[in-house]
Amino acid sequence: MAIAEQPVEMAQRPAEMKSAKPGIDWRGRALDRAPFLVACLMLALIVAIYGSLQSGVFSLDELNLDTAAALTLMLAATGQTIVLVRGGIDLSIGGMISLGTVIAATRFTDDPSTVALWALAILALGFLIGALNGLLISLLKLQPFLVTLATWSILNGVAMIILPTDGGSVPGWWVSFGYAQLFGLTSPVWMLLALLLFWWWFRATRVGITIQATGSNEKSAFLSGVSITGVNVITYGLSGLFAAGAALFLTTQTGAGSPTIGKDYILPSVAAAVIGGVSLFGGRGHLAGTLIGAFVLTLIGNLVFVLHVSSYWQPVASGVILLLSVLASSVAEKAARGRVQ
Amino acid sequence: MDLVTVKGLSKRYGGIVALSEATFSARAGEVHALLGENGAGKSTFIQILSGAVRHDGGSILVDGQDYRPANPDAAQARGIAAVFQELSLIPDLSVEQNIWFRHEPRTLLRTVNRAEMRRKTLALLDKYNFPALRPDQELRRLTLAERQIVEIAKGLAKDPRILILDEATSALPAREAEWLLKLTRQLAAEGRLVIFISHRMAEVRAIADRLTIFRNGSTIAVHEANAVSDNEIVTQMIGRHLDRLYPERVATATDRIALSVKNFSSGSRLSGVDFALREGEVLGVGGLQGHGQRELFQALFGASKASGTIELWGKPVSIGNPRQALTGKDGIALVPEDRRGQGLLLTKSVRENLTLSVIKRFTENGLLSRQKEAALVKEMVDFLRIKAGTPEQLAGTLSGGNQQKVIFGKMLLTQARVLLLYDPTRGVDVGTKGEIFQLMRDLAARGYAILFHSSDMPELVHVADRVLVMRNGGVAATLEGDRISEAGILRAAMLESEAA
Repeated sequence: MAIAEQPVEMAQRPAEMKSAKPGIDWRGRALDRAPFLVACLMLALIVAIYGSLQSGVFSLDELNLDTAAALTLMLAATGQTIVLVRGGIDLSIGGMISLGTVIAATRFTDDPSTVALWALAILALGFLIGALNGLLISLLKLQPFLVTLATWSILNGVAMIILPTDGGSVPGWWVSFGYAQLFGLTSPVWMLLALLLFWWWFRATRVGITIQATGSNEKSAFLSGVSITGVNVITYGLSGLFAAGAALFLTTQTGAGSPTIGKDYILPSVAAAVIGGVSLFGGRGHLAGTLIGAFVLTLIGNLVFVLHVSSYWQPVASGVILLLSVLASSVAEKAARGRVQ
Repeated sequence: MDLVTVKGLSKRYGGIVALSEATFSARAGEVHALLGENGAGKSTFIQILSGAVRHDGGSILVDGQDYRPANPDAAQARGIAAVFQELSLIPDLSVEQNIWFRHEPRTLLRTVNRAEMRRKTLALLDKYNFPALRPDQELRRLTLAERQIVEIAKGLAKDPRILILDEATSALPAREAEWLLKLTRQLAAEGRLVIFISHRMAEVRAIADRLTIFRNGSTIAVHEANAVSDNEIVTQMIGRHLDRLYPERVATATDRIALSVKNFSSGSRLSGVDFALREGEVLGVGGLQGHGQRELFQALFGASKASGTIELWGKPVSIGNPRQALTGKDGIALVPEDRRGQGLLLTKSVRENLTLSVIKRFTENGLLSRQKEAALVKEMVDFLRIKAGTPEQLAGTLSGGNQQKVIFGKMLLTQARVLLLYDPTRGVDVGTKGEIFQLMRDLAARGYAILFHSSDMPELVHVADRVLVMRNGGVAATLEGDRISEAGILRAAMLESEAA
């Protein structure tokens, strides 16, 4: 055998390579976070304008009110953020939100245990339908856009069959959940904090990292041993779960069910994420950005109201802000790339 | 006893036989080279070993026990890790996250234990004297060579008993490649089996104990490395005598200047480059890596901003983007460094790849002429001898050498006559390398002007008519005739005093 006739020489460390400069790459980090910083700036600007036009904006009451107004979108956008980071998109959340509200509005009774049971059932249904989305996307190798467009339509139809028009009701004690207070903060604010806590934890888990990695480069993830089907099932399942959560919260605000209300959250959920710096190409984004984006979109509504202009200006302003955000991230992206090559 | 024994291994992709009755055996503690042309079945073989692909027939024994991994995880559980040429890294994760991906140390909350991960990363990088890397840097900020090194770290992080290195040196500069070769010996000395794939004969010679040669999906021969000559190996790899790797250098350059560049600068990496490329000439661009070669090619093709004057066929031109470079007849075309990322659409067919950028050439009155397209495609496939089942075969399923040929075809169809070839033989097998060099000389004889960079110095020495040696973003010397040699290039690249 001819193994190692020459004495084994320890591999010596070659000279430093070019990216290995010591210290923290502050400029690179700032560029990475540019879209998020731009979103923060926008929010600050909107709050400043709003505050100068309206008294009492800088108060706990205002925070409680605005968070309650934004939280349905925030819950839906949390699921959407996970899907976008995976590199997909979920349109079916619109159907799931509608279906969730009509099931709650037709099944909830005054009996708390019945309500708890049905609430859990709605959440489980959300996860299952989402998981089914993920399974269809993987097994049939279909575009997420098309699969979730189809399930949106199906869920919407089922919601219509259960409750053809807005109506039904949920018990009063359930509605009071929506403004229950603890330490001066209402339940929506606590839920917002819970969402942030969830994200802080989730994105550092192996599941969270795997979802991000699969969105960043699916082939590499596969070669590293990731089950792409498993990732899709969990990603879309979570999105469905959060959509169901959004539906439940929405019933505390409206007190009723609506078979059509879900569609109002589909594109805004994507817009909130994009404004907050989540990449539509997957792999990059944080929930904090999405939540800021959701606040921006919600406060635009307030602003339009206090400016006494037609409410149709709201979508116009939302669109302009969306464009500005996309522009900001694209500029930052180019600057970051220019530094590398 | 052998650590790995493979018998009768077979794998088909549709109608294409990738492996048929291949055998292989290797011991713990050896560096075992796997040689073969592109398309010989090496890639399929290591994909099966590493769990990325499942075999159709035959048996694999690892430690005397049946081995049939369902996925890369199962392979890793049996102590087998692969360092892929087609990297398995995640652009948006940091260096350390990539190294430990899916094997991260965790806290009680099931989140990644960052401190522990950093500690393990530094320990690993230190143990094997890795080139300096910043563990917290995002992968997409790294160069190709640095990514390759991260991929190696990722393989080693699993502490594998069998490590597969697939063309791991091809993306590395000389010093890092040398480090890897020593590391490979060190790993074997630790009792691991290293399966080493490289197209560089000198490297195989330097470190392999034994070598197995594949051809057309079957095992042709197994040799003790010190008992076989280069010629025998090459003959067995290609199944015929390869008279010469390098074609005869016939002077075909005319006096007509195809491309003249003056005071050409771009960014901080390229400053004040002057040269003239003549019709029918192959002009080599050499020097140590990272001295502006990449930037020169990018800037000439209009892919990055530059200043200075460019004259194309005697006329001043400004090239702001690749479209302007390619415009009209006699323009400039580039064969890029990263053919998978920049040159080729892997999920499109050979035909689509060839004709995508030249749709105008077979459009009549706004309608596509499929006949004209088919004729052009056939001409190119025949001319370049692209081995594809049909023109509709997906580019991603071709071997590396054939993918490179498709890129050449795409470039030739644009009717550009100034060709920028950036490392066109990287990761290409020896038979196809010879074909590519011959093709370059043929094109030069037809009046093409070729600017040619290679990270493999002998290629410049044997193929180019003249060689520009770059240093610190400028041209340090222009070598002609007898002065073109590896020593001459190195001297000009490293010594300040060498005059042009």
